[in-house]
Parts: sequence; C-alpha cells; structure tokens
Amino acid sequence: MKYKSVKQTHKIGNLIVYAILTFFAIIVIFPIVYSLAGSFKSLGELFINADKIFPEKATIDNYVTVITSRSIRLGRMFLNSMYYTVANVAIMLIISSLNAYVFARGNFPGKKIIFVIFSALMFINMGSITVYPLFEMLNVIHLNSSLWGLILIKAFGIPVVNIYLVKSYIETLPKELDEAAKVDGCSFAGTFFKIILPLLKPILTTVAVLTFNGAWNEYLMPSIFTMSNPEQQTLMVGITALKQSGEAAANWTVVLAAANLSLIPTLVAYVFGNRYFVSGLAAGSVKG
Amino acid sequence: MRTRKNSKTTTVKVKYNLGEVAQCYGMIGLQIIGFLVITLYPICWAIRLSFFYYNGLPSSQNFIGLENFVTMFTKDADYWRSWLTTIQFALIKLPIELPFAMFVALLLNRKIKFKGFFRSLFFLPCIVGVAVIGLIFSNMFDYYGIINAWLCKIGIIETGITWFSHKWSAMAVLLSGAIWSTFGVNTLYFLAALQNVPQELYEVAMLDGASKFTMFRKITLPTMAPVLQVVVLLSLNGTLHTNEYVLTMTGGGPGGSTYTVMSYIVGKFVPGFAGNSINIGYGCAVSFVTSVIMAVIAIIYMRTTKKLSNTY
Repeated sequence: MKYKSVKQTHKIGNLIVYAILTFFAIIVIFPIVYSLAGSFKSLGELFINADKIFPEKATIDNYVTVITSRSIRLGRMFLNSMYYTVANVAIMLIISSLNAYVFARGNFPGKKIIFVIFSALMFINMGSITVYPLFEMLNVIHLNSSLWGLILIKAFGIPVVNIYLVKSYIETLPKELDEAAKVDGCSFAGTFFKIILPLLKPILTTVAVLTFNGAWNEYLMPSIFTMSNPEQQTLMVGITALKQSGEAAANWTVVLAAANLSLIPTLVAYVFGNRYFVSGLAAGSVKG
Repeated sequence: MRTRKNSKTTTVKVKYNLGEVAQCYGMIGLQIIGFLVITLYPICWAIRLSFFYYNGLPSSQNFIGLENFVTMFTKDADYWRSWLTTIQFALIKLPIELPFAMFVALLLNRKIKFKGFFRSLFFLPCIVGVAVIGLIFSNMFDYYGIINAWLCKIGIIETGITWFSHKWSAMAVLLSGAIWSTFGVNTLYFLAALQNVPQELYEVAMLDGASKFTMFRKITLPTMAPVLQVVVLLSLNGTLHTNEYVLTMTGGGPGGSTYTVMSYIVGKFVPGFAGNSINIGYGCAVSFVTSVIMAVIAIIYMRTTKKLSNTY
C-alpha cells in the first residue's frame, strides 16, 4: 500500500518535470521556429498577421529571391564562409595536436616556461585594437584586408583551450606506446604521426566540430578583414550588412530566409557531431 | 631490467636528446613565432602608442605623454558609461541565467525518458551565431513584430513599443537574446558536474530522512563548488567581454547607450566600424586600461571564491 503511494507521487513528480522541461523547450525552440516559419510568409503577411507564428499561405519566394538575387550574392558568401571555415578547422587540427603532443610528451629546455606563457594568454587580451599592427604587418606581404590574411594569422595563433583539451587526452594514453615506438627506432616526431595521431581521433573530432561551429559563426574579425573587400564577405558578415542596410525593413522575410540557410551547415555539424559537442564542452568546464 | 629502465629515463632527463629538442621546437615553431609576432608585438605596439597621438598617418605620430589617460579618466563619460552598461548587463544576466540553468540541469539529472532529446534541444541555441541571433531577435522585437503583436493582444500595452529606441527596452532585448543563447551551455556544464556527485551520499542522507532541499544545500552544492566556480568565472568573463553580439543586435544604439565596453572600443576605434578621424593612440590607451580592469576583476573573483570554497 505504502509502496504504491510512493510510486504514484513519483509518477506525478515526473509529470511535473516533463511539463517544466517542455515549457523550457518551447521557449528555447521558439525563435528558431519563428524564423523558419517567418521565412515562408510573404512580406505583407509578416506585418499584417504579426501575431501568428505560421503563415496562412506558405510561399518559397523568399528563398528563390535570396538564392537568385544578384545584389545579395548568397552563393559567393556561402563559398567564402566554407573555405574560411574549412581552413580554420584544418589549421586548428594541426596546431592543437602538434602543440599538445610536444607539451605532453616532449622533453626540451624551456618547456615549462613556454607552456606557462602560452597559458597566460587566456587572460591577457588587448582586444580588437591590435588589428592595426596586424594590418601593418600584413600590408608588408600584401595580404591585408583579405580573408587569407586572417587565415594566415590563425595559423600563427595559440588556441590555448584546444591545446589543453588534446594535451589532457594524450596524457591518458599509456607511455609504453611511445617507448615501444622508440625501441623500434621511431623518432619523436615519427612516434606522433605513426602512433599517437591515429589514437587522437575522438578528441580531434570534438575539436573539429567546435572549431567548425566557431569559425562559421565568427563575425567581428572577418568583417574587419573584408571591409574594403566585399567580394570576400562571409555569410555572417553579409547577412548582418543586409540587416543594417536599411533595405532590411522592406525585406525582412528575405533576410530571415538567408539566416535560415546560413544555419544549415552548423545544424548538420550539430546533428552528426552532437556527442562530440557535448563531451568537448563538458570536459572544458570540469577540467577548467 | 627495472634498474636499467630507470637509469635510462634519468639520463634522458638530465641530458636532452638533441634530435628530440630540435623536433619539439620544430613542431611548435609556428606558435613561438606567432607568440612573438602576432601576440606580443601588437600588445607592445598598443601600449607604446597609448602615449601618442596617432590618426593612422605615420607623420601624425606625436608623443603626448599621459594626455590620453588624463582625458580618459577626466573627460570621457561615454567610456565609463559603457562600463556601467557592461556591469548592469552582467548583474542582470547571470542571476537569471545560472539559477535557471541549474534548475533545468537538476531536472535533467533525474531518471526520465527523452533526456538526450531535451539536452540536445536546450543546447541548440549555442550553435546559432551572433549575427543570426541579431537578425531573429531584431525581427521578433521589431515595431511590427510578433512580440508587440502579442503584448497588444493580451492587453499589456496599447500601442507597440519601439524596443530599440530606449536604453532599457533595448537592453531587455539584448538580455533575452543573450540568455537564450548561453543558457544551454551552462545547463550542460551543471549537468556534467551533477553526474560527478557520488550517489552514495544521497542514499545515506535519504536514510537519515533529509529533505530534497537539504540534500541539495548540503550535498549537491558543496560537491559542485569547484565546478560552480569555473562556470561562474566563464560566464562572468564571457559576459564582460560581450562584443560582437551587441554590434550585430543594436550596434550600440540608441545613442551608444547599449555599448558594452568591448563593443564600445570596436565601435569607436576599429576600422570598418569607427569613423575616419580617430585618435588610434587614444583607442590604445582605452584598450590598455580595459584589459587591466578585466584582469583585476578576474583576480578579485578568484581570490574571493577561493575563500568561499575553503569554507565549504
């Protein structure tokens, strides 16, 4: 009898939990659903039926407009975003794994001090003002105000968090692996490429997924580096410019359609890399 | 066998293997160069120029001593107002977002179905970029947008609110978008921490007849304290550095009143956002002081919370 009542309260408790979670879920999903639904409305309907989420007469005109428009050039921006993102991911994978391996397993004078200096970078941040000296330097090699200049800077950057992430993963691998490779005549670098790198697949997938998302969504630096070169605008820069152009008010539905299209690559990455997103972020917080 | 292995490792430790040292430096070479050229040099450049007048033309560079700093501390009300906005932003955002995230994490930590589904859903906003958030929320809070339409319908307001033309209504939009986008990641952090709390503690407490709330206060919070500290630091740090989000959402408007300090610097001194005739030297001084204040805040936070976690 008593057991039953406990079970019943548990059941009611769970119902309340589901209700609260669903409530939060609706709030969380609302802006995305709104944007999706809005992009299928005609502009007139967006203003007249402002209180309705879903369109009465759905139309794909906005998508046709945004894809075929010569002034928006969505395809060009999409391509720019794509190569910028892919370059970022490739660079990130190379430098985070190389640096992590050296700091986890390397034995060289200055290791400690270099690692401390690199880590301190997390807390020293002069902000965007440093684009002036960077521009000056890029000017010398004629790469200023271009996306390629920014990619070059990324190749020399120090991604502290990702280095930490990969380094702590390498430290969980047994040291005997390295020693066995050494006995077999593998050099320090050879051990990395032949033994360690293949084992890093899970953590590098996490790094890749997080970097993909970050680079695709990056706004500030790409917009500074492409300001005099609109040809090279990435999607995020382009659609923000679209919103601020004043044309937007007369064009809201088209802008929403562009926003939704720009979400697709990150959504795909999220659906396939969900597990890696979650594990990467959780590891980042617990290890600090 | 064992002694030989030991002696081998000690000799390696004392004497570096030249080949290995060369390979190590080769593998992190780009980052060492990058540190000197891309990180250290620009910082020194900016610190040096904060004592100069400089408008971008090399001939205009003119040493003016501490004048930039004097101007900043005595005349530049806009800069200090952006600090006030930043702190208001953080003081409202964190107390709303963190308890909610903790609450949802506690619910998700129960034995329920669709856990993975809810978790994925709550995290979804984190993958939406600031530019897109700016677009969607600007549209929702447009004068003819859905929020005004609904508020009118249920009779809270009679005519639409022009959200982006007053400081606090614009801040409300900024805050709702910001909380929407970072709520999920904090939930995830808390959830990861909750799963590390030993279940035996709860079982013992249950036998002693402790209430759910007592268990939360006496077991969950103390065991989570270190993670809580990290999450609050990350959240505080991220919020104080709020930058491109403000630029895409309000652009600092109306009248620069919603500029957070980082976005203020971009809006006033960075090419592409700022006007043409600017004193870059002054921008350097502002950036320098800002980064010092940010570092001081982080240090103060870590000092005070150290005491807190010691008392637990």
